[in-house]
Amino acid sequence: MAVWRTALAWGIAAGMAPASLALASGTGGGGGGQMPSFTAPQYDPVREYQQGLADYQAEKFKSAASHFQNVADAQPRDANTWYMLGSAKSGAGDLKGAEKALTKSVKLDPAPIAAHRDLAIAEAKLKENDKANAELAVLNARATACNSACAEAADIKAAVAAVQQALGVVSPSASALPLQGDFKFAALNTGDVAYARAVSLINERRFPEALEALDAAERSFGPHPDILTYKGYVWRKLGRLDLAESFYRRALAEAPTHRGATEYYGELKVIRGDMAGARLMLARLEDACAFGCVEAQDLRRWIDHGGDPAS
Amino acid sequence: MDRSRRRSRLLIFFAAGAALAAAPPPPLHALRWVAPGADGARILTQRPVECLAAPKSASEAYLVEVGRAAFRTPLVLGGAAARAGVECETCHRNGRSNRDFSLPGLSGAPGTADVTSFLFSPKRGDNVFDPKPIPDLGGPKSALKISQAPGSPALERFIHGLVTEEFDGAEPPPAVLAGLAAYVRALSPSACPAATAEPVIMEADAENARRAVRAGLAALAGNDPATAMLMVGAARTALGDMAERYATPDLATDVQSLRVADLDLAAAIADIRQGDPTARLSLETWLAHSEGWTKSLAADEGRSYYDRATLARAIH
Repeated sequence: MAVWRTALAWGIAAGMAPASLALASGTGGGGGGQMPSFTAPQYDPVREYQQGLADYQAEKFKSAASHFQNVADAQPRDANTWYMLGSAKSGAGDLKGAEKALTKSVKLDPAPIAAHRDLAIAEAKLKENDKANAELAVLNARATACNSACAEAADIKAAVAAVQQALGVVSPSASALPLQGDFKFAALNTGDVAYARAVSLINERRFPEALEALDAAERSFGPHPDILTYKGYVWRKLGRLDLAESFYRRALAEAPTHRGATEYYGELKVIRGDMAGARLMLARLEDACAFGCVEAQDLRRWIDHGGDPAS
Repeated sequence: MDRSRRRSRLLIFFAAGAALAAAPPPPLHALRWVAPGADGARILTQRPVECLAAPKSASEAYLVEVGRAAFRTPLVLGGAAARAGVECETCHRNGRSNRDFSLPGLSGAPGTADVTSFLFSPKRGDNVFDPKPIPDLGGPKSALKISQAPGSPALERFIHGLVTEEFDGAEPPPAVLAGLAAYVRALSPSACPAATAEPVIMEADAENARRAVRAGLAALAGNDPATAMLMVGAARTALGDMAERYATPDLATDVQSLRVADLDLAAAIADIRQGDPTARLSLETWLAHSEGWTKSLAADEGRSYYDRATLARAIH
C-alpha cells in the first residue's frame, strides 16, 4: 500500500513529469540512467516535523527534540518549530535548552501567546524570575490591549495565571511544561481542518484570522511549503512585502519548484516593479510545469498587465 | 483502498512541484476527488458516455469543439480550483455527472458539491455548507435549473459567472464562453449511445488532444489567438492526463514521448503569442506526427494505468 504523502504529493501528480522521465533513454556514466538530483535522497522537514510531533505526543521527548532540532536547522526562521523544540526539550528535562529555543521562537514571532507563556514558565523554573516577570509583563500588556474583548482573551488570561503559578516553583522539574497549547492534540486531520479554514478565510479577506489558522495547520504539518506560501500570500495582502518574500523564499528553499510559491513570488516582483525578476520566475514556472499550468498562465497575465490583472 | 492513510487531502490547493523522495504520489490526480472507500481503479478506468448531438452547422461545430476542449482543462478556471487541477470535466465527466466526486470541505455525500464555498470562491462564498447533487448535463434539459433555450443568454451568463465568480477565473475569450455554452447545449439525452459507460482508453484521450489542436487551428484561421492558445493549452492538459497513466516504473519512454509532444505544443503557443504565422504549420505537423507516437502508447496501454488491474495495484 502506497502511503500518499501530503499536499505536496498531490501536487506532483497534477503537474510534474515523474522523476523516471529524466534521462529515461540515456545511459549516463553513474550507472542509474537518471540525474543524481532525481535519485538522491532528499531531506523532508515536513515529514521529520511530523515524526517529532508523534514522538512528543507519545512523550518520547528526547527523540522529539532531536527531530525538531533537525527541522529547526533546516528552517531556522520557523518560529513554530523552535517552539516545538523548546517544548520537547522541556519535556526531556532540559530547561536551559527549552529556554533557548523558546526565546528564539518569541524573537522570530512575538504573536503567539503560548510561546511567551512557556518561555516564562521555563525561566521561572530556572529561577530566572526577572526574565519570567518580563515575559509576564508582555502577557499583561497584551491583556490590557485586549481588554477581554479580543479573540485571544481567554488564552491570555490562562497564560497569565499559568505564569503566575510557575513563579512560585522553586526547583526545576523534569516533567513537561503545562500543555495548554493545542499542539498536544495536533494531528493531521485537525491540520486539514485548519488549512481548509485558512483557505476560506483568505478568500474572505479575513487575513489576520487566516494567519492564525495557518499557524494551527503548521502545528500539525510543520513548515510545509504550501503553508509557508499561503503565509507569504497573506502577508503580501497585508502590505508586508518583506515578510511575504521571506515566506516565499522559505517555501522555495524547501521545494525549489513549488508552483504556488514561484507564481506568488513572481507577482511580488511585479508589484515591486522588478519585471526581469518576475520573468525569471515565469521561466522557472514554465520549466517546472510540464503539460502547462494555471500558475504560469496567471503570472504571465500579471506581467503583461504590469500588476494585478483583476484590479 | 485504505483512504484513512491518505493524509491531508485538503492540502491540495497548491500544485506543488517538488519531488520529495520519501514516498510516491498517488498515481492519478483524479484520485483526489474519489469518494473515500470507493473503488478508485474502477471509477477511473470507466466513465459515463458522452451524449453529444451532431452540430447543425460549421459555425456550431466550431464552437462545440472549442467548448468541449475548454471543458476539459483547468486553464479556464482560476483560483484554488484551477491550482488543484479542477476542470468542468471533474464534476461532469464526459459532460455528465460525477457520482463519485468527493472533496472534504466541498462535498457532503459523494456526487455533491457546495458551489458557494469560500474554499473555491472569494466572490460567491456564503459560509453555509450546503452541498448539492452535481447535475447530469447530458440528462433532460428540464431537470437543469438554467434555461438552455437557443437565443436565451441565460446559459452564457451562468457559465460566465461560474468561471469568473464561482471559480475566480479570468475573463474567458468570447469564443470560449460561447463555445462552453454551445457544448452544454449540444449535450442531450437523445444523443446518448446505447451503452451507459465506456472504458477510459488512451486513444480517446489522444483524440481529445487532437480535437483541441484542431479547434486551435480553426481559431487561428478566425484570427482569434487567445482562443487558439487556450485550445492548445487544453491539448497539453490532455497530454498531461495521458502521461499520468504511463507513469509506471517501466514506461518512462512513453512518458518521454508525451513530453516531447507537449514541448512542441508549448512552442506553438509561444509562436501564437508572438504572432508567428509558422504556428499553424507547427500544429498541423504535430497532428500528423501524433498518429506515430500514439502507436507506441497503444502497444503499452495494457501495462499503464489505463488498465484497471495495473491501476488497482498502484492504489492498494
